[in-house]
Amino acid sequence: MEWKTLALELVLMPLVAFIVGMAMVLMMRKIAAKLQRRVGPPLLQPLYDIVKLHAKQTQVSHGLIHEIGIVMAIGGYVAAETLLPVPGMNGIAAQGGLIALLYMTMIPSLGLALGVGQCANPNGSIGISRALTAMLAYDVPLVIVIFGVAFHYGTINLVDMIATQQAGGVATWGAAQMPLLAIAGLFAMQGMLGKQPFEIYVAPAEIATGPMVEMGGKFLGGLFVMQCFQLYTAAVLYVTLFLGGGENWATFLVKSFAVLAIPVTIAMVFPRYRTEDLVRLMWKWPVMLGLLGLAFILP
Amino acid sequence: MSALDKIQVREERLPPSKGQAQAGKGTNPLANVFDELINFARSRSLFMLHYCTGCGAIELPPAMTSRFDMERLGVQPMVSPRQADILLVTGYVSVKTLKRVILTYEQMSAPKYVIGICSCTVNGGMYWQSYATAKKLNDYLPVDIYIAGCMPRPEAVIAGLRDLIENIKHGEANSWKDYYQRYDHYLGNQQRLFGEDWQTPTNVIGEARHYGLFGPETLGAHTALLEQYQRPLDALDMKIEIPELQRFQRP
Repeated sequence: MEWKTLALELVLMPLVAFIVGMAMVLMMRKIAAKLQRRVGPPLLQPLYDIVKLHAKQTQVSHGLIHEIGIVMAIGGYVAAETLLPVPGMNGIAAQGGLIALLYMTMIPSLGLALGVGQCANPNGSIGISRALTAMLAYDVPLVIVIFGVAFHYGTINLVDMIATQQAGGVATWGAAQMPLLAIAGLFAMQGMLGKQPFEIYVAPAEIATGPMVEMGGKFLGGLFVMQCFQLYTAAVLYVTLFLGGGENWATFLVKSFAVLAIPVTIAMVFPRYRTEDLVRLMWKWPVMLGLLGLAFILP
Repeated sequence: MSALDKIQVREERLPPSKGQAQAGKGTNPLANVFDELINFARSRSLFMLHYCTGCGAIELPPAMTSRFDMERLGVQPMVSPRQADILLVTGYVSVKTLKRVILTYEQMSAPKYVIGICSCTVNGGMYWQSYATAKKLNDYLPVDIYIAGCMPRPEAVIAGLRDLIENIKHGEANSWKDYYQRYDHYLGNQQRLFGEDWQTPTNVIGEARHYGLFGPETLGAHTALLEQYQRPLDALDMKIEIPELQRFQRP
């Protein structure tokens, strides 16, 4: 791989992810507004929020680990973006693979836990313990889904998976070949996004947004950037595994936004589960669906 | 003569500092582009901490939800003072509540704005004769916008927010600087109400020094009194209060 294309991809892919991610945040807030019969935020609202938060004039830091934690949270996702194949920029993704990508998506939660730990706010500690429990809950179905998909395609290389799906047309898409795993994957994605039925660790009225309680100014701005990356990562990963990736940017973006609209729409009409109910639900239904899906795939 | 009657009320408000507006006049026309962009982003994205002290709080849910929808102006509720830009004080503040309001205000990161909703924050309203109620919020915190009324309708709340947005866009909503620059004045009023050993965990003078917001009236007689009484912040000692677990603790 030539160093020029490498450098270009390293710079361009997180940038594209950030811009698309901001559009996804806007879509999420617009869907919420439409479901509540409101007008909703203007077009550039996510950008205004991020600019404003980074332009705060007094910043309250709780120490070095607080700042490093936020950098880890964003950095993990920036690394994950470069490993996601998008139309036209597959170089690093071909070298990486599914396992490396999964490792990268774990880093933000751990970085956030570090940063919140230094804040020494009880609400934050409760929030982060719930967040890590939720991670434990949704990782079991996620790993089953990832294993099933990798077994089905016979590779952990995301670029090869897309090539297989695009060569055979819609009938060879992951969602058509492994519908049960696709449904279990949707469950896991909902947990990964931390949206409404599974957002006990944020719980604004109860523990004051949990991990974010001591984050102001640039720290909260960093978490807003992280949210853009998080939505993008989840949507693109699902599109890559089950919907045949993108032939070009138009179909790629349409698929990503459509995939994301499903959990967001579900989120806005549901109340939330308690932590133990979340673990019970996650370890029961998506795991059963996933194992059933595995039984169809395995020879 | 009660302690409340001794409060010296200062009528005039300092004009907002014109530093930002005049910095680049006559020089490069693009010199202020970045500041103007930031001011615009600030005006269009306001996170609001509603400290619901009184009856005005009931007018906020309709202003936030589908009927009047604050989010189209970029205003949305937040739950912790660290994240918030606006402190909404809705209704009367009793002396006990005012302590919490001041603690909350000092924890917010600047630029921060205070909105007083209802007549009670303007002049005490129907609680004028109450011994336990702070009368003018502006004596204790720098208020940006008052929305008068008993209670103001959601339209009035939205109109007030629009005024604040205009002020921020033109760089005129600088009363948070006033709190640093005239800290002695505000602290003096607070001390008259809470007693002379009043103190908060936030080091306002240190922040003013760090961020270059020191004014001629930051230090004075009242801050000298504060230094006299100030105790250093100690960490709370860790104790397990669960009786079942205390068996396992070493004596």
